[in-house]
Amino acid sequence: MKHSRWLVCLWLLWPAVICAQSANSSDSAEMIRALLNRVEQLEKRVAELEGRPGQSAVAPPAAAQPPTEAAPPATPEPSQVVAAPQTHMGHGVTEMLAPSTHIAGFSDIDFGATDKPGSHSGFNEGQFVLHLNSALSSKVSFFGELSLTARSDAGTGTPPATGFNVEVERSIIQFQQNDYFKVSFGRYHTPINYWNETFHHGQWLQTSISRPEIVQFGGSFLPIHFVGALVEGAVPAGGMNVNYNFGLGNGRSSVISKSGDWGDINNNRAWLASVFSRPSSLYGLQFGASVYRDMITPTSAAFAGMAFHEWIQSAHVVWNKENPELIAEFANVTHQQAGGSLTSNSQAWYVQTGYRLPWLERLWKPYYRFEYIHIPGSDKLFKAVPSLAGSTVGVRYDISSFAALKFEWRNLRRPGEPWVNGAFAQTSFTF
Amino acid sequence: MRRSTIFSGCCFSVLLLLGLTLLAPPAADSSSGDVAVVVNSTVPVGEISFTELRRVFLGERQFWSSSLRISLLLHAPAARERDVLLKTVYEMSEAQLRQHWIGKVFRAEAPSAPQMFFSDEEIVQALAAIPGSIAAVDATRIPRGLRVLRVDGRLPGEPGYRLH
Repeated sequence: MKHSRWLVCLWLLWPAVICAQSANSSDSAEMIRALLNRVEQLEKRVAELEGRPGQSAVAPPAAAQPPTEAAPPATPEPSQVVAAPQTHMGHGVTEMLAPSTHIAGFSDIDFGATDKPGSHSGFNEGQFVLHLNSALSSKVSFFGELSLTARSDAGTGTPPATGFNVEVERSIIQFQQNDYFKVSFGRYHTPINYWNETFHHGQWLQTSISRPEIVQFGGSFLPIHFVGALVEGAVPAGGMNVNYNFGLGNGRSSVISKSGDWGDINNNRAWLASVFSRPSSLYGLQFGASVYRDMITPTSAAFAGMAFHEWIQSAHVVWNKENPELIAEFANVTHQQAGGSLTSNSQAWYVQTGYRLPWLERLWKPYYRFEYIHIPGSDKLFKAVPSLAGSTVGVRYDISSFAALKFEWRNLRRPGEPWVNGAFAQTSFTF
Repeated sequence: MRRSTIFSGCCFSVLLLLGLTLLAPPAADSSSGDVAVVVNSTVPVGEISFTELRRVFLGERQFWSSSLRISLLLHAPAARERDVLLKTVYEMSEAQLRQHWIGKVFRAEAPSAPQMFFSDEEIVQALAAIPGSIAAVDATRIPRGLRVLRVDGRLPGEPGYRLH
């Protein structure tokens, strides 16, 4: 009885099994046909590629794959790892084919209002800065910094329309022999001032909205740019980690706020020497000093036939952790008339402190800066540079890892003028 | 009533024990929690001081020798090895580390920021392949063939080792 039941079931199911088998076989046949077509197409393609002059059907070498793309074993042994070229910092593929240029940028949007007579409140676009760096080999690198600055007189016409002024801020090609010796040529931010050399045009990098007056872009107190050659390096020096810079270049142009980009204005090169230390035992501390020497030959009628020797001595102390942050700089500029007795000394200094608050995800950082500039009446070259005393207090809020909001209040006074108060806001970012 | 209470209590205790067992970290050996400083076989150094290690990871020292550049490899954010480096070596937050490297490249002090990797396998593979490379790797996951640097004369698991 049991057997008869099984036989009935088998008899009932048999057609279904047959149908299923035939369906599977027809699907398989279709699949085989499709695969054969595909193989045929690929064979034709290979034949085309092999027949093409100057082309090779050989797969690109494994060297074209970055190390991380090679399929690793689950727990790779060094001997099993696919040998890949070094692509970091310009080795391997990068060196063989073409330099790879990395572009980054900084920008800021500002709002300002002051009680200075004749001033207007409002928004203004800050600098739009592009930074390019490219490793040309394992030891040769290029760095560039390009700025676009909104100006009231950058456009065409009379009077000139508003527009953007484009400037190559830095253009440096550097050869690195090792940590002790690097030589470079180009246009630099003169390495005699910590702020100028550390933050460049990256407003987002600096804590405050404004730069100290002694290193304002377009200012004259210190030469902001330097065109020439620089030798630099770092030596451990028993844990003192001494860094040095020696530079030779064109110095200031006939307009002393500008560098001699197109050539020097005389046959005397400017030179500089800078030394700073970052002791290992006091992680976060940096201190250093610099000297700068130049010959300035102004072309304006007021200085007809006159030349001045310029000596700059500067020093800085920085605690660059944010709990607290401290930046203090001092500079003395000596101008001595060549062949004359006119000598003057102008001084400037500032102290900035900040503190990253430990609460609210450490996003808030209040700061304060006091700055002072003294220009004696005897300094004819700095006649247009006003003395200054003032405070800046503000707070920085980091919206993200790459963007910040800053609010700042300034209280400044120049000789013979009333105190000027101003409120400023800025969003600065890197991209 | 009393028996059911005891039974419920026993069940709760067993479940609690099970939960704690599942949540507890795995059993540790002597070097558990330590992060090793691992280098490519071309690196001509077997020992490094902690302050020198900090200079390397900060990008202040960029060459092992004139012919061998240091290639710094880092885990991606949130990896434990990166957290250990942030806490002990950099003494920075993640945001400060990013700003440090953006500034470093922007100042032309380094040609590029460190390469970043998302897994141990990737970073170990790169360590084996890239001459002069250095990275921090979990001390329990170091494959054979890679060299571990002594830091201030100590290896992971030894008393006084600082990277954990």
